[in-house]
Amino acid sequence: MRFSLFILLFCCLCRTAVAEVVELRIALWMADVREIGQPPADGLAAFNEALARQICRRINARCSTGNVPFADILPGIEARRFDLGFGNFLRTPEREKRVAFSDPIWNSSSRLLVRSDNNRRLEARFGPEIRPEKLRDLRVGGVSGTQQYAYLEHLAGRRGLALSGFRTMSEVLDRLGDGQLDICLLPMLSAYDLLLREAPGRFEFIGPPLVDNGLGGTVHIALAKEREPLRQAVNSAIAALRADGTYHRLLRQYFPFSLE
Amino acid sequence: MNLGIFPGLRGIRAGRVFSLLAALFVLTFGIVVVLVVLDQQRVIESTRHLQEQTVPEILRYQRLARNLEQLRQEGERVFTATTPPARQQAMFVVMLVASHPSVLEHAQSAALARETERFLNDVMHRAASDSKAFTTYRDEWLRLSARLSVQVEDVSIQGVNLASSDLNEVSGAMLLARYKLMAALGLVGLFLLLFLFMLSRHLIHPLQRIDRVLSGLSVDHPSPAFEPSAMREIHAVEEAIGELHASLVQNEKARFALEELANNDGLTGLTNRRHFLLQANAEVQRGQRYERSLTVGMADLDFFKNLNDTYGHAAGDSVLRSLAGLMRETFRQSDMICRYGGEEFAFLFPETTLAEAQVLAERLRSRCAGYEIILADGREVGVCISIGLANASRCSLETALNRADDALYEAKHQGRNRVVLAPSGEQLLLADDL
Repeated sequence: MRFSLFILLFCCLCRTAVAEVVELRIALWMADVREIGQPPADGLAAFNEALARQICRRINARCSTGNVPFADILPGIEARRFDLGFGNFLRTPEREKRVAFSDPIWNSSSRLLVRSDNNRRLEARFGPEIRPEKLRDLRVGGVSGTQQYAYLEHLAGRRGLALSGFRTMSEVLDRLGDGQLDICLLPMLSAYDLLLREAPGRFEFIGPPLVDNGLGGTVHIALAKEREPLRQAVNSAIAALRADGTYHRLLRQYFPFSLE
Repeated sequence: MNLGIFPGLRGIRAGRVFSLLAALFVLTFGIVVVLVVLDQQRVIESTRHLQEQTVPEILRYQRLARNLEQLRQEGERVFTATTPPARQQAMFVVMLVASHPSVLEHAQSAALARETERFLNDVMHRAASDSKAFTTYRDEWLRLSARLSVQVEDVSIQGVNLASSDLNEVSGAMLLARYKLMAALGLVGLFLLLFLFMLSRHLIHPLQRIDRVLSGLSVDHPSPAFEPSAMREIHAVEEAIGELHASLVQNEKARFALEELANNDGLTGLTNRRHFLLQANAEVQRGQRYERSLTVGMADLDFFKNLNDTYGHAAGDSVLRSLAGLMRETFRQSDMICRYGGEEFAFLFPETTLAEAQVLAERLRSRCAGYEIILADGREVGVCISIGLANASRCSLETALNRADDALYEAKHQGRNRVVLAPSGEQLLLADDL
């Protein structure tokens, strides 16, 4: 009888302990429109998911991940639909007003992308060191909500650019491929994922890599502003992952080069 | 602190100098400790800087070197890849690495990476139309690849060198701290020596000197002279020793005066009876031991009672005083003269036979007889004296004095103002036998 009571008490305690494990809803940016709602296959999204799971393990939380378009991540975090946003976010003053950011996880830069057969023509028109602010009278595209899109938006009116925004990067590449866009401005690493799937030599980066005007720098995990304890826990987890080499093993697993 | 070396400091209380020395020591040592602590702070700050800023910076350089090496390897893959997708992937990685912010941060590396990327891109474009492009540009690629390798090495070394300045700072601070600690050690030793020197010079040596002086302190020696001491306490003790000596001398004087009072007759200044008996006894014993001649005498002023009655006691006293002076003048230095009582006097003549003593006694008697004493009121008075002498070389002092007294009595009996010799011992024995 006493033993049964003990077991009962033990079970109650265990249930309490299990109930204390936090569940984190994680938003992952999907570059390909076909993968929204699907588990990530490989590349940056898969790396982000693996990193998210490692962080959850370190802070003793359970993870549930979801693939969402970039533009939905920040509003989702603000509305508390997501706890952590892996959108490869560059840290900008505008975004800082809306959400909080973790310590940096890697570095990013942006670059202009064109169809290979357009390369020569554009280089002949704008020179080999072609930059977004030199563009004029072109159809340009980007992923809505990204820094790259915001920068193009900023240039569009003055330079006579016809700007189109898309939910995912795959849509941008499709429009570039079928000739509806002349040029687009994309984050390098995210674009790399998709370009590997394309036929070799179809698209080409042109101009120098861009890090100024908020187009490059450190990449962070976004989370709600009022969740300072969670931010600190995530930062500690990132530091621990770096310290014990887990982070670099993940990088090696998903990329043939270092992101740092 | 040798106050002898610094005459200006003489007079400063040595105790205060000790306190000053201790305060100076604490202050100096405190300053050294603070300096060492500051060095330690420098070490801590440099170490923190190394840990928080330099090491991450070194890591960034290491990452940059790794990325450049990656760039070189991927470039190699562009040349060696057998399939277009593999070549395309390698080219993408080249572009990604060349575009990476870590490479862009380092201007030299960024330029080289961009050059590499443009070269490879150019070769790929040429390869689309010319199948031998990769072979044609192979040598140029190898030169670029070698430049990349050099850049990798340079970046690595630059990173490692970042640590040297912090480490130099640390070792410099440690070295400085070591010098300061050694200086502090020297300072402690110096202060200790100075302290011991002060202790020995101003405390131990003066105390030893005081001990020596106290053991030799006597009225026979002059008052001890001390060099002025820097320690006020020691100086006070030395002054007290001077005062002690003065009081010893004073006591000796008082003792001497008391002795004078006890041994001498107040009126005449001659030895009194008690002292005379003591001295004479010793003299008799000494004379008899060495078998020397020795004579005693008794004298009595003639008609002294009448003189007192006629002229008064003051005149009597005056006469006695004058007579005492006359006796001192007449007799020799070595002869003992004593006021035996009233107008009676006793003598002892050492080394003198009865006959020689008779000459002396006769001289006194005759001088006395012709001596006019002037009294206080101007009157003149003449006195005469009867003397009895006895040989003391064979009998006790008491016996000799009795016999001299008998002889005096005989002199009185014979009519006064004369010297009568007591018969010698043999004569007495003979008389007894008869």
